[in-house]
Amino acid sequence: MKKKVLSILLAGAMVMSMAACGGDSGDSQSSAAASGSTGSSSSAAAGSSAADAGNATGELVDGKFAETRTITVEVYNRENDGGSDPTNNMYTEYIKQGMLEDHNVQVEFVSVPRWTEVEQINNLLAAGDAPDICVTYDYPTIQTYANMGGVLDLAPYLEDYKAELPNLWDWLGETNLYWDRDPETGTVWGIEAKLAVSNRINTFVRQDWLDALNMKAPTTKQEFEEMLIAFRDNADKLLGADADKMIPYSVSFDVGWRAATLIESFIDPAISDREFYVNGFDDRKLTQEGTKEAIRLLNKWYNDGLLWDDFALYGSGDSTEDDMMKAGYVGAFTHNWDYPFRNGEDSINASLQRIVGEDAAYVAIDCFEDKNGDYTKFVPGPIDRKIFFPSTNDEPLACMLYLDWISDPEHIEYLQIGDEGVTHNVLEDGAVETVAATGDAIQNSGMNIDYTITCNGLKLADAEKTAISRAHNYAGIDAAIVQAADVIANTDMRVGKNVNVGALSSEEGMGPVLSEKRDIAYDNAVIAPVADFDKVWDQGVQDYLNAGGQAIMDEREEKWVATYGDVDMLP
Amino acid sequence: MNSKKQPIAPRRKTSFKVYMKRYWQLYALLSLPLLYLLIFKYVPMIYIQIAFKKYSIVESVWKLPLAKNYGFEYFIKAFKSKDFILALRNTVGLNLLDLVIGFPAPIIFALILNELCFKRFKKVVQTIAYMPHFLSWVIIYGLALQLFAPSTGFINMILNNLGMESVPFLNESRHWVATYAGLGVWQNFGWGSIVYLAAIAGISPELYEAASVDGAGRFKKMWHITLPGIKPTIVVLLVMNLGNILGSNFDRPFALQNNLVMDVANVISTYVYKVGIKGLQFSLTTAVGLFQSVVGVFFLLMANWISRKLGERGIW
Repeated sequence: MKKKVLSILLAGAMVMSMAACGGDSGDSQSSAAASGSTGSSSSAAAGSSAADAGNATGELVDGKFAETRTITVEVYNRENDGGSDPTNNMYTEYIKQGMLEDHNVQVEFVSVPRWTEVEQINNLLAAGDAPDICVTYDYPTIQTYANMGGVLDLAPYLEDYKAELPNLWDWLGETNLYWDRDPETGTVWGIEAKLAVSNRINTFVRQDWLDALNMKAPTTKQEFEEMLIAFRDNADKLLGADADKMIPYSVSFDVGWRAATLIESFIDPAISDREFYVNGFDDRKLTQEGTKEAIRLLNKWYNDGLLWDDFALYGSGDSTEDDMMKAGYVGAFTHNWDYPFRNGEDSINASLQRIVGEDAAYVAIDCFEDKNGDYTKFVPGPIDRKIFFPSTNDEPLACMLYLDWISDPEHIEYLQIGDEGVTHNVLEDGAVETVAATGDAIQNSGMNIDYTITCNGLKLADAEKTAISRAHNYAGIDAAIVQAADVIANTDMRVGKNVNVGALSSEEGMGPVLSEKRDIAYDNAVIAPVADFDKVWDQGVQDYLNAGGQAIMDEREEKWVATYGDVDMLP
Repeated sequence: MNSKKQPIAPRRKTSFKVYMKRYWQLYALLSLPLLYLLIFKYVPMIYIQIAFKKYSIVESVWKLPLAKNYGFEYFIKAFKSKDFILALRNTVGLNLLDLVIGFPAPIIFALILNELCFKRFKKVVQTIAYMPHFLSWVIIYGLALQLFAPSTGFINMILNNLGMESVPFLNESRHWVATYAGLGVWQNFGWGSIVYLAAIAGISPELYEAASVDGAGRFKKMWHITLPGIKPTIVVLLVMNLGNILGSNFDRPFALQNNLVMDVANVISTYVYKVGIKGLQFSLTTAVGLFQSVVGVFFLLMANWISRKLGERGIW
């Protein structure tokens, strides 16, 4: 009898727990379905916005909702050592409080890993769990989901609520808000955040090694190569017992980015906008004329022992290479224009000084001359991340107000520099100097770029103050070094133009596939034996083209002609 | 359960009630795993139709329009894609390799272990051999990098210090395949041997004693008693492995692959992930997945049929 009772109880418990699980999944399914349907109905309403708009503004009193609304916002998680929880820290509190006070909107943050953001946001979108405000660097992802009806059209909101969104309109303006507006239908699937600083990439070298070898900073490819050889041959002198760890020039698996200055120096500086655009789907310039010769040089360096042997084995977000830079094994590298200065105490330069010695530092150099002897650097337009609302977003107005709030110059300033005495000091000339913060005040991303989603780069309310502060913006880094890097990054800059020919069907969903093909092509070409280089390179590029690259180039060419006619250069 | 059913089979009508009354607790317990299978394995099958339709994330799957070519657009596209063909080749190739190298390894290990006299030593070896099974492939790749990377890997550093060239374990296609298979064996041979050890334990000791009396040595005993004794187990596992020849787990190839060896490392599961989930081509990759499953079932049935022909039991 006892046994029987027990078994009944056990079976009952199990069935209950099962039912609970089942109920759960049923719930989430139905709620997903519900939000899906509200999503589509709200996007339908947005299409014929007048009635809806009347209703919704009626709910706003002085920019505040009568009832508290809740929205979710994507924030990147960079998983920094010693960083804080990106969804809950001093800065998120500031935003949450501000939004609640100003608009009666409750904000929740959803963290997405920075280095796999495209995959993650795809997963979230496919599952119907994406945050109300999504941020990505990959526009084709937005376009693909928009074609499936998974993204809200922002155009009606931007127009109808223009009066409610002064800061957003002020800061981004038509240029960025309408950067991706479809020329035919007028839909806006995503808006482009603005780059306050256009600087893109720099090449860095160990100043103390140059000094130790009595060398000057190289100004040509030839001199750069000689410098690398000198590093290699003097490894004993420079690294002592660690001589076998010497890496004269370091690139990662993402060769197209990490040798970008070199690659761009082989591209014709007078290249037509048209040619640049047609080959421009891949921002690593795989198919641009000249790239092959750049990689040939890199291939030669690799075979001469000037590159890191294992570069292709470490994937995205791996810190091994950074650690080698910090430990002082790397002579030179190419990266974001301010890369070694980022992250305060944990920055590459600061770590280097701690580990190697006071005078150790990476400084920027300009050494890859193009055919005119200039140092042309191709930078995209003033655009940065792309912001969009998935169709599961049922609070588009509240989200728009969020974008407006986050674009308020004062809010940007606070998020970027924090409190005086804690995260920054004011110098005599009024410049703002960033100091390394501790604990809750630590910024997970430089200048909190992950929160100021409409702005990338230092932007204080006062423009003059911004200009003089930029060099003081990196805690613990000598302002002169930053200043020099800034100047070099701005030398011979060629800013990209907005080529907007509407949606290209051939690009749909191809981003990740082609990025991988590109990296495979680059990586294999770099490590090929010198004699096989042509074969390996051509094969890699061919593979890229076959996998969809060619179709994209053809469609781009076609649409260019359809939109601009036979013009080669845009005004 | 069959054997329990038989005694009450003759009186059909009343028997079911009586039978259920007697055994309902067992069925209550069974209902859980059945529910699991239903929810997680059968309900998702509804979505197989994505393979024949033009997918959209917002539409209900029933309302999606049929793809071109009577719904076979994506199958045609897949077989025209060089990447898919390569992934197919790699999947079969790597799995065959696993079968040839990885399948006998636990059997041999179990046989060797069985011959050990020191009980304690045997236990220690067994435990150590099980351990890799509990490591995730991401961790194993981390270990592999530390050991095999061309310039910073431990083994290559030793080779370099001995004046030899680095061996490109991870960064050259052929070597990578060997590393892949080797790591697979290393991870799995200990764990895989459990089943065989259990089977060996079930062999009657009398057989060994009789063989000893007849003058059989260790190898003779192993060959004529142990191996035949575990043959049914081997066949069942072989059948199941053959069913998997086109299936592939995701984490192992995904964790181990890198850009330099993608020509041999891209298998169907990673292809589906990259093109389908990252590239949003859900219909295409559902088609690929369906194809993979259908071929997998075919292999399973065939292997089962062959094993029956060979006089073994098969799995059903």
